[in-house]
Amino acid sequence: MKVYDGSSQTEQTQDADPERIKVGIAEYEVTTSGSVLTTSGLGSCIGVALHDPETGVAGLVHVMLPSADEMDDGNPAKFADTGTELLVDEMEAAGASLRRIEAKIAGGSDMLDFSESGSGIGVRNVEQVRETLDSYGIPIVGEDVGGDHGRSLRLESQSGDLVVKSANQDDTRL
Amino acid sequence: MKVDVQSLGTFNQLAHEGAEQATQSMSQMTGIDAAVDVTKISLVDRADIGEELGDDEFVGVQFSFEGALSGETVLVFDQASSDKIVNALMPGAADDPSMARSSVEEIGNIMMSGFIDGWADYLEAAIEHTPPEYIERSGASVLPDAPEASENDQIFVFRSEVEWLDESVSFYIYMLPEYDPLAELMADHADAGDDAIPIEKLEVFNQMTRSGTEKAAENVEMMAGIQTEAEVSQISFAPIEDVPKQVGNDTYVGTVVEFTGTPSGFLLVLFDETSAVTVAEALMPMEVAGEGLTAQHKSAIEELGNIMTSGFVDGWANVLQQSVDHSPPRLVHDMGRAIVDPLAAQLGQHQRHAFIIDSKMKTDEVEFESEIYALPNEAELREALDELLVERADETEADADQIF
Repeated sequence: MKVYDGSSQTEQTQDADPERIKVGIAEYEVTTSGSVLTTSGLGSCIGVALHDPETGVAGLVHVMLPSADEMDDGNPAKFADTGTELLVDEMEAAGASLRRIEAKIAGGSDMLDFSESGSGIGVRNVEQVRETLDSYGIPIVGEDVGGDHGRSLRLESQSGDLVVKSANQDDTRL
Repeated sequence: MKVDVQSLGTFNQLAHEGAEQATQSMSQMTGIDAAVDVTKISLVDRADIGEELGDDEFVGVQFSFEGALSGETVLVFDQASSDKIVNALMPGAADDPSMARSSVEEIGNIMMSGFIDGWADYLEAAIEHTPPEYIERSGASVLPDAPEASENDQIFVFRSEVEWLDESVSFYIYMLPEYDPLAELMADHADAGDDAIPIEKLEVFNQMTRSGTEKAAENVEMMAGIQTEAEVSQISFAPIEDVPKQVGNDTYVGTVVEFTGTPSGFLLVLFDETSAVTVAEALMPMEVAGEGLTAQHKSAIEELGNIMTSGFVDGWANVLQQSVDHSPPRLVHDMGRAIVDPLAAQLGQHQRHAFIIDSKMKTDEVEFESEIYALPNEAELREALDELLVERADETEADADQIF
């Protein structure tokens, strides 16, 4: 959970592939240096990718549960509501402008949901992310949510493209 | 000895912070940016410790430590990782055996000092350690001898795995504390004791898991003619967000059920794709048309998963003297972590940490390996263990063969 700026890759040569930064479950990363942010194995979890096209600031959070209100837990990045808020704050702190930030979201699958009543966690995660983004007025410009399969994500921060991979389907580029 | 969930959580956090410190030391020295991937506390059979290291060659350092905690600890790198680290310290050093060795010693020493100091700071107590001893061995033999565990053959192991971004290198820290000082410390850090679990009961659970796996392995042999070996079973404790990381990121095929009763939870039987094809074809009466994993393969896996699940769940029900029902199996074929993620999330609505009961069987004859995971509701598992009489546990231990 660091903010990566240009100085963190001083040892990299200019023409090298962009640095890859892994984002774990209940973690987030923000980059200002064109890095590629990746996260893997999203089932009902959801990946929220934010991008400011003008400054190139980009961030990715991998949240697990809908709302921090439901639990006493110290890690905001674990929840759809507080995780999204945290990412927006960190994006702004890194120089992004709320007016320009665009969101792409993926995950929130219904796979292996055994809950008998009400909506599953995947669905609630998606709803919560939409609601929180909406409260900031951040538009969702691409999404691949729901279904019954897992996903891995790759956010190319230079272009803002979000590549969604799954085990049994071709890649999708959002 | 009793352990409670809060002290397990605290100790897990400690091990995690120790591993973070060690990783930071390494990053500072080498410029390699790494992150701690998994930290867990497991209760493992002495004989099974280090099973996950396979036959690979490892180098690293070993220490004894003494004080608030006593025991042995090692930090090991696989060969490729050590070359990479050594070269990052001093370009070209990996080609010179004596330079490679002293670099591993140096970095191992610094990392492990960070690890141990992290524990001592938290415990506000002194932990002394011996100078590092360089080790170079293969597989589980790289680990120190497990401490004598007076009445039992199961010991606590703290494990951390650290990964680099390109996923090509990693190291492991194993810490094998002696039983009595650990028990004392855990008791000191225990809460009022409401949710304490006598350690003997966790051990019984491990034994039952082992018996269940053996039964499942027999079923595999009976149905598919594949004789398996090296069943390993352990019970681990980790933060809920680390649960999906217990499973690799490769694609798996298998079945998942929800079981109900006390405890409730989820049970997974997983095969890697190659194993799934091997075992499914062994089950099927005739050759299948088509490449890879067909619908027929999947339906054979579903049947086998169901039978393996039943053996397991029946075993638990017998020990716990509770009825344990389970849902029909759901067939899964997906990325390992994505399979576990929704299950962890469902548990995570009510708990911050989870017990992970896992078991593995494999065979060298053909490409076959299967993993069984149980993810019980934590509070209900405690309740079930609470009601499990140790006398009864003794009985069931002797009766294990009849039960399954």
